[in-house]
Amino acid sequence: MSDAYAVNVDGVSKSFGAFKALNGINLRVRQGEIYGLLGPNGAGKTTLIRLLCGLLEAHAGTVTVLGHRMPNVAVLRQIGYMTQQAALYPSISVEENVRFFAAINGADEGVQEALELVQLCDRRSSVVSTLSGGMRQRCSLACALVHKPELLLLDEPTVGVDPQLRVQFWESFRRMAANGTTLIVSSHVMDEADRCQRLGLIQYGRLLAEGSPADIRAQGGSQNLEEAFLALAGRRES
Amino acid sequence: MSGHRVAAITRRLLQGFRRDHRTVALLFVAPIVILALLGYLIRGSSSAPAVGIANEDSGPLGATVAEQLMKSDQISTIEISASDGEAKLKDHSLAAYIVFPPDFSQNAAAGNIAPDVHLEGSQPGEDAPVIQALQKAMAAAASQATGRTVNVEPHVTYLYGGSNYDTLDYFGAAFVGLIVFFLVFVITIVSFLNERSQGTLERLMASPLRRGEIVLGYMVGFTVLALIQAVEVLVFALAVLRIQNHGNVLLIFGMEALMVIAAVNLGIFLSMFARSEFQAVQFIPLVIVPQFLLSGILFPVSSEPQALQYVSNVLPLTYAVNGMRDIMVKGADLTWSSLQLDLAVVAAFAILLIVAGTATLRRRLA
Repeated sequence: MSDAYAVNVDGVSKSFGAFKALNGINLRVRQGEIYGLLGPNGAGKTTLIRLLCGLLEAHAGTVTVLGHRMPNVAVLRQIGYMTQQAALYPSISVEENVRFFAAINGADEGVQEALELVQLCDRRSSVVSTLSGGMRQRCSLACALVHKPELLLLDEPTVGVDPQLRVQFWESFRRMAANGTTLIVSSHVMDEADRCQRLGLIQYGRLLAEGSPADIRAQGGSQNLEEAFLALAGRRES
Repeated sequence: MSGHRVAAITRRLLQGFRRDHRTVALLFVAPIVILALLGYLIRGSSSAPAVGIANEDSGPLGATVAEQLMKSDQISTIEISASDGEAKLKDHSLAAYIVFPPDFSQNAAAGNIAPDVHLEGSQPGEDAPVIQALQKAMAAAASQATGRTVNVEPHVTYLYGGSNYDTLDYFGAAFVGLIVFFLVFVITIVSFLNERSQGTLERLMASPLRRGEIVLGYMVGFTVLALIQAVEVLVFALAVLRIQNHGNVLLIFGMEALMVIAAVNLGIFLSMFARSEFQAVQFIPLVIVPQFLLSGILFPVSSEPQALQYVSNVLPLTYAVNGMRDIMVKGADLTWSSLQLDLAVVAAFAILLIVAGTATLRRRLA
């Protein structure tokens, strides 16, 4: 039953010209789960996330999000998407950015809450172009979650964020998951992977392995997640 | 100062151009195209202003002057009857017509030479050759007839404009609309390109926003901005520069609003074909300059070489310019069929661009 899952990706392939970005991917994410997409640069993580929010259409297979076959405009209201680069309007303030993304998702409230979550209340009226990279990243996160989506897609959300704030980010991710929000977080940083409940390892557009961090360690035969990942990747290649 | 370091900068610059074929093409092709077009426009000009001659003179002098006029290479003449003149001015088939009244010879004998010159008047460049040709022809005819020089005082009337109507009045009417069109186009193409390069367009596409909503939002935003700009431009043109306006200000606004809508959507549409602001700016010489030369702003379309007239007649800006002049110079209102055509063409162009802009919005993401 696909409806039991927040996200159900079934046999999905996607090519750009001759380049196969995704090749027969299957994965399921339960509601309220934090799912980590792990893999090197160019592995297909961003392509998969774009398929999940309907920016791309699969050539083969089906993508089902919150019970709707994608792409589907109706379900986009329930999705929050944080892009890899902090995609913001540089010439308006933090609060104006957050308010804008709330409005286009049909939400009027939640701006204050979102700003508190990313600790930007004191910089709310700063123009985005004057912010540091980490602050922009926080503002970008606020824009992605201001409308309280059921599914939050975060494409490398902690790049450029300092370690202290990274811990706070993960705390709030866990809180949101506890409240029933499903999170899919892509990363190529292994120490973040441990914080996810389940992981999918992607390389060359294929899902190499899936499971909890403990499962991955067992499969890769190493206590170190990074070594386990490299072992799994090497096994597939040979 | 190190030659090595300077060379590094120069080399890096040229390396960039090596991969940007479009910029290289622009650098070397655009100047030739623009100059060639300008040369063809000016040197290849086909027609001298068309002048109708109605000779009603009961005496011989009218015929003599008419004969001299027909020899003139400043104007091209046809014979008409005086009653047709006004209609032919209005439908653009004549730039002027000259009437020699029945008592022309009689008055001339009394030393009072007064042909009636009726000028269309909206294109100041066409008036001077008509008057010059007439004065030369009459001087020649008079010296033939009388053997002495005669002072000629033609009696001139204007269909539009008037003797204090000058080049600024002619250009001003067109520019009031064009300034707004060009600026809005440039602002839109750059801000839409930013939307794409800073990644926000991707976010918009992943939100419940519909493509039409994005286009409409942009359109309303820039239209409001551009109409405020239009007020400013118009007030400055009318109150400070004192450009003549015989038309309804609301009609000018209506035309400008249509041009703004077209400009916004042209910007959205063309932003798909540019990868950087640098390339976006390149659309100015490619798209804007040829339109500027051919839309009748500087040179009346009727004086262009025939081949270029075909091009001009399919450029929407030609109709916009013509419409603005009809309104401001000629005081056209909505009952004029020429203005109806102009408005319809500009509106159709705007609608076409809305469709094109909306349709390209999805593709630009992939």
